[in-house]
Amino acid sequence: MSVNPFDLKTVLLAKHAQHVVLIHFPIALFTVAVAFDFLAQWAKSRSLAAAAYFNLLLAAGFTIPVVASGLAAWQFALEGQKLKGILLMHLVLGCISAVVIWVVFLIHLRARRAPEKSLPTYRLSLEAIAVLLVVVTAHLGGFLSGVNGPG
Amino acid sequence: MRRIVSTAVLFATTFGVAFAGLRAGERNLPAAAAQQKPDATEVKIDNFSFGPAELKVPVGTTVTWTNRDDIPHTAVSTDKSFKSKVLDTDEKFSFTFSKPGTYEYFCSIHPKMTGKVVVQ
Repeated sequence: MSVNPFDLKTVLLAKHAQHVVLIHFPIALFTVAVAFDFLAQWAKSRSLAAAAYFNLLLAAGFTIPVVASGLAAWQFALEGQKLKGILLMHLVLGCISAVVIWVVFLIHLRARRAPEKSLPTYRLSLEAIAVLLVVVTAHLGGFLSGVNGPG
Repeated sequence: MRRIVSTAVLFATTFGVAFAGLRAGERNLPAAAAQQKPDATEVKIDNFSFGPAELKVPVGTTVTWTNRDDIPHTAVSTDKSFKSKVLDTDEKFSFTFSKPGTYEYFCSIHPKMTGKVVVQ
């Protein structure tokens, strides 16, 4: 019954273990992308901006399996019952985080397709808000999964 | 004659005390029967564990799970004979075991959390 995240068979076949494993990728990629983007803005570095873009691309891509596996976990483990409390908050904030990550990525994509235009500075505020959302969602997710407890 | 009367009084007193004791015993019967029932028909969910992890109960016992944790949990049997909704803090779920057997269960949010009810 125990789930070992390092056991490939368990990870692939367990009904809701995938979400817990996959979620780390967009969190890491997005926070690193935002760090690169802030550094690129400060240092006026094209290579850092490019690094930020590709990290954002991967982060946005990873949100799809993460949201899908989260919804699948809800359906498989809890049989789609009405959520409330921390579970509902985690679901809502997770979906909002995914949308904001995509918005940030699309801002970068748009600027990349039109090199004559520079990236809007308001994106930095949006990225900071997105990081905050991701942190709160991740904290709730960690709380739910019991990483701070014996579970 | 006096001896007969005193014998009758003694007999009546003995009979009366015995009868009263019998009635008192009858009154205490439900209490005694209740004492025979297992008192641990409640499973507390706390700190990511079911307590007691293994519970032995007679057939017909209603077991109540109470979530004392800060985190939502469920109690779902592996053979799907019972399944709680998501229990938030202080919420309860009860199930009456009408058939003997061993019922293994787990929390579907935290599958490492397992427990067992043995119905005899």
